[in-house]
Amino acid sequence: MKEALRALVELRARLLWRRFTTRGGIAEGVASVVLLAIAVPVGVGFAVAVGFGAYQSVRAGGGLRSDVGAAAIFFGLWQTWTAVSLTVNDREGLDLHRFLLYPIAPGRVYGMGLATGIVGDPMGFVWGAMLLGVFVGAAMARPGAWLGLLAVTLAAFAVATVVLVALIQEVLGLVLSTRRLREWATVLSVVLSVGFLALVLKSTDRPYRALGDILPSLRVLQWIAWPAAFPAAAARDLFAGRSGASLPWIGGLLVSTAATAWISFHIALRQARGAGPSGGNASGGGPVRSGRGLPGGRMGALVEKEVRYLWRQPLARVDALLAPAIAALVAWKLEPSIPLEAGEALRALPLFGVALYTHLLLQAFWLNAFGWERGGARVMFLAPLELAAVLRAKGLVLYLFSLLLFLLSASVLAVVGKGSAPPWAFAAALLLHAGAAPWLLAAGNLVSILRPRASSFAIQRSSALSTFSGLMGMAIISGVMGFFALPAVLAIRNESTAQLLAGWGLLGAAGAWTWWKAVPKEARLLAERRDDFLPTVCGDDA
Amino acid sequence: MTDPLAVETRGLTRLFDGKPAVSSIDLRVPAGAFYGFLGPNGAGKSTTMKMLTGLLRPTSGEARVLGADLSRDGLSVKARIGVVPDGLALFERLSGSEMLRIQGQLYGLDRLVSARRAAELLDAMELASEGGKLVQDYSHGMKKKLALACALIHGPELLFLDEPFEGIDAVAVTGIRRMLQDLVTRRSLTIFLTSHVLEVVERLVTHVGIIHRGQLVAQGTLDEVRASGSLEETFIRMVGEERAPGPGLSWLGTRSEAR
Repeated sequence: MKEALRALVELRARLLWRRFTTRGGIAEGVASVVLLAIAVPVGVGFAVAVGFGAYQSVRAGGGLRSDVGAAAIFFGLWQTWTAVSLTVNDREGLDLHRFLLYPIAPGRVYGMGLATGIVGDPMGFVWGAMLLGVFVGAAMARPGAWLGLLAVTLAAFAVATVVLVALIQEVLGLVLSTRRLREWATVLSVVLSVGFLALVLKSTDRPYRALGDILPSLRVLQWIAWPAAFPAAAARDLFAGRSGASLPWIGGLLVSTAATAWISFHIALRQARGAGPSGGNASGGGPVRSGRGLPGGRMGALVEKEVRYLWRQPLARVDALLAPAIAALVAWKLEPSIPLEAGEALRALPLFGVALYTHLLLQAFWLNAFGWERGGARVMFLAPLELAAVLRAKGLVLYLFSLLLFLLSASVLAVVGKGSAPPWAFAAALLLHAGAAPWLLAAGNLVSILRPRASSFAIQRSSALSTFSGLMGMAIISGVMGFFALPAVLAIRNESTAQLLAGWGLLGAAGAWTWWKAVPKEARLLAERRDDFLPTVCGDDA
Repeated sequence: MTDPLAVETRGLTRLFDGKPAVSSIDLRVPAGAFYGFLGPNGAGKSTTMKMLTGLLRPTSGEARVLGADLSRDGLSVKARIGVVPDGLALFERLSGSEMLRIQGQLYGLDRLVSARRAAELLDAMELASEGGKLVQDYSHGMKKKLALACALIHGPELLFLDEPFEGIDAVAVTGIRRMLQDLVTRRSLTIFLTSHVLEVVERLVTHVGIIHRGQLVAQGTLDEVRASGSLEETFIRMVGEERAPGPGLSWLGTRSEAR
């Protein structure tokens, strides 16, 4: 069995090495180095900050200051770690499904996948440095044997966070790949959304106050975030010098972690032993249904295919649930903190943020536009199609989907925020959303063609973007935001709404022209690169 | 007078990392022929087919398909050919019927015509009861049949099939074989097929080309190529490498040391 585990470790290491030494590997390597170069100073900076927080909490020796410090450290770290891991975690190298044939206990493969996932994650350095910072800060404040328990708590916290992320991924994968569960999840999310809106609308005052009134009774909800709640409670006692009192919390953390790992593993195993690489019975059988669809013609067929693909894409469904939920959170938490006297432009910022966020949320689709085509990508080259038409259809459908998400999110923002943004801001946000789209799509096409990646439909298996594409995405979004910030700065300085609208309108028109002109050139590039592109997208060289 | 050629190549070559996968081959596939393109694994069959269908660019040489230069008149040639490539060309998140109908539309068929043909093809391939199912949930054999249906929906003049019998059961092989024979004899379709299954190929094809290590080692009618022997004997003689079993593998058949 040791040999088998050694082979697994070697396999993972070789896959990582190949990623940097095969086609496009240099770009991946450079991107990873850049990410690490960002992660190291960020990690050190945060480690110092969190270490200082731990130092002060321990020195306070109990009481509110110590309690708040412990809660802030663990809940803050857990929240960020979870959010980042859910976005970029890559565990495809040890997909359980592939290893069921081997005489290795599936639990070991799963555990190894989780462990190597932490090591393979460039952000692992940041989390590790921050935990070390907590330990060093606490040790400097009060050396002693109690630090052993703190070390156990921190290590268990790290494992618990990783394990809960795995469970969330497995549950999402299960829910989105099984038709019956998917339908129930949709019904449940609609009921919850309607209930939340009803609660908000029922309140006569500002919604956050109504919700604020009931929040104390909802404190029990903190235990949903148990990987943070248990260690925060343990740290509270440890910081106050009550080592014995911390033991039940540490025990609770260990037991919950083990239980979560067990559940997560069994869901993964069930899926791996299920219907195959699709991860479940995603569709009903049965005879042909009468053809509903878009009008005919090649463009109609291309658009219809894109619509159906996007609709059946689990990641798109998650985004459709996430965008309005985040808008609601922004309206509830952020908007009330912007004072009325701050000016209309500043009060419109959350709405503008949502306009850009919907593009950000969908970046996997515009930075890796062909990632889910697999063998279907060959049709683009076999059928008598202009590749420019394929790119236009993809761009059009993705923009419409993004617009739908934006309108949904903006509506939620308006309802929950009770119209704190001025009316003109909606037109401006629509202009910003539409204006940014062609720039992002034009640049995204280039990344999609130059750095394609065959992505898995099972969202818990791998990141949809390569490290290089992710880095390019950051650069593209930052650039576009920089462009569109210029008219905003001018408009705020001159207090002129018209300048803002005109500036964004002009930038949007320039973007549309650029996209229209870029697509044929990008199509030529795609045709020229098909020898490298097709094996990658079809997964032939996976 | 010579037959018009459905496929003609001159010096067609493809290098990968400087090494030839296909080396200066001159193919001649007469119109209306059932052409079997044979070769051992890695001989260059699929690479040749990819170059003839536009999936791969040749490093050098020319390819004329249905009388047109593929590099210059790519779109018009593609509209007249049907292809079942290695690895298939299916959108796995479409249902079988959607895949077929959309494929027809991508080849320029009217939506209603495409839908009608899709239904007929699903019926002919015995997939009618599975038309509403996503392609990803099809078995390998069903995917092969669907891919063949996709290649036929626009009524091509020339059909390229890369290993159509690989991984499917004997019943399905018989069904597909009958359909292909019918397409050639009654509908004057030209078929260019690669396969490892020599006994099936021998019963189907009218013309044969044999490729070995990237070079065309034989080409002509079936009778010309096989001469007095069987196709399998001829094939083994041309590409087979006699290898006596070595002294190794003595551990096979003993108790496993794996723990």
